[in-house]
Amino acid sequence: MAAGYMLNRSALTLRLQCQLVSRSPSLTQVREKKRWMKAYTHLMAKKLKLEGPPPPKPRWQQPNWDYHSEVQAFSSRLHENFSLELLKIAFINPCYLQAEQDRRKQLGVDSETMALALKDNLQLSEKGAGLTNSFLTDWCRTSFPNLPHEGVECIVGHLTSPSVVTYVARNLGIEDLTMSAEFPVPDEVLNSTFMAVIGALEESGGAERAAFFLRDFLLTQLIGKDLFDMWIVVNPMGLLVEELTKRNLPLPEPRLIRSAGASTVLPLYFVGLYSDTKLLAQGPGETLVGAEEEAARVALRKLYGYTENRRPFDFSPQQQRQQMLLQSVSQ
Amino acid sequence: MTSRGTPSRFLRSVLQNGVGRYVCQLKRVSIIFSKKAQGSLGVRDFIEEGVVDFAKNNPGTVVYVSPQPCRVPKIVAEYLNGNTKEELVTNKTSQQVLEVLTKLTDQSGLDIIRIRKPFHTDSPSIQGKWHPFTNRPPSAGFIRPQNQHAE
Repeated sequence: MAAGYMLNRSALTLRLQCQLVSRSPSLTQVREKKRWMKAYTHLMAKKLKLEGPPPPKPRWQQPNWDYHSEVQAFSSRLHENFSLELLKIAFINPCYLQAEQDRRKQLGVDSETMALALKDNLQLSEKGAGLTNSFLTDWCRTSFPNLPHEGVECIVGHLTSPSVVTYVARNLGIEDLTMSAEFPVPDEVLNSTFMAVIGALEESGGAERAAFFLRDFLLTQLIGKDLFDMWIVVNPMGLLVEELTKRNLPLPEPRLIRSAGASTVLPLYFVGLYSDTKLLAQGPGETLVGAEEEAARVALRKLYGYTENRRPFDFSPQQQRQQMLLQSVSQ
Repeated sequence: MTSRGTPSRFLRSVLQNGVGRYVCQLKRVSIIFSKKAQGSLGVRDFIEEGVVDFAKNNPGTVVYVSPQPCRVPKIVAEYLNGNTKEELVTNKTSQQVLEVLTKLTDQSGLDIIRIRKPFHTDSPSIQGKWHPFTNRPPSAGFIRPQNQHAE
């Protein structure tokens, strides 16, 4: 009896479901409490939890995207006169070309009839990287004439490191325009694209424009940076001794100048470095060794002209700079 | 909620903007409106009168005009640092829509939250950090040669 009841019930529910299924397409809209909504949202939430959020979509796959105007706007936003063909080439990475050709092969498109007439940015990228390196080195040499070769290399290495370059490229909107096989765009691809943009600028506007571009967007990252954040010096005292022997000065003599709270948890020592009875620099520290090292660093900063209270870098615009030069010449 | 509990940031700009040259941070703006709805009347007026001038005045911004059936017209602004901002412009006149667009153009795209200090500097102190001997007479804590008393 019970089994028969169950069967009867299941048949009933099946019929109901059939009705529901058949009803939904015929009626366009039903005005009632949407009792299916709770189950539906619950299911979707469960799905989201299991599968995770959907992968990010590149901007060119989203609505409202016109590549040509985007490139044009990129050029005029930065107040530069890029040649648009070169700029478009600069955004095409070799990995994108490879992926596109593979995709066409999979779709069965004949490679002869639908040839990919695109150039990749390898050449521009190499050119841009070379220019960036030489310009940054020259700039460091002129602004810090006393800085040794290693220090210059470290500053240039910091500015051209992938982390800094990709940070700049992302904040200039290069990531949206970059054509790459993967998304999100990998750091090395973004790096080479940024260099290619600089290469394109050099070809379309000359090396001077590219230099100003680098100064305005890459060198500004140097503001607020300490020299020894970029240049890791393990033994500053040894370096100071080397520098002083190079300049034929007597060797530094560390002396404890001041101390406070030596028996507390927060001791403070001030070590002064004397060379020929003249105070080179003084530095604080929690231990004597730390204070001596800090004093050596302060002395090195003074020698290299990279102190915290130095004159700020000159970032004045191009026309203003030329006027100032003209004024100084006429005076 | 007290002000300490709200999200906050320090005063800053994207990529030290304005140190070298000024770059308008608004890279893309889409105006989404309906062709028929009453609420987007002002937006339609703006599209007839002012959108071309706006696009000409801001060559660094790509303006997309997309008519689609919607009740609430809106302006979606995308900034160079990747942030997106939506402004609803229901029942706004053409002039008010232009004001909203100008406001979006002038913004930097950083989150609009409480700013902890109204000033910022990259070199916090010329004098150096504070230590127990700042503004003290030079004799305080000074270590003298030890054989001075013996002589």
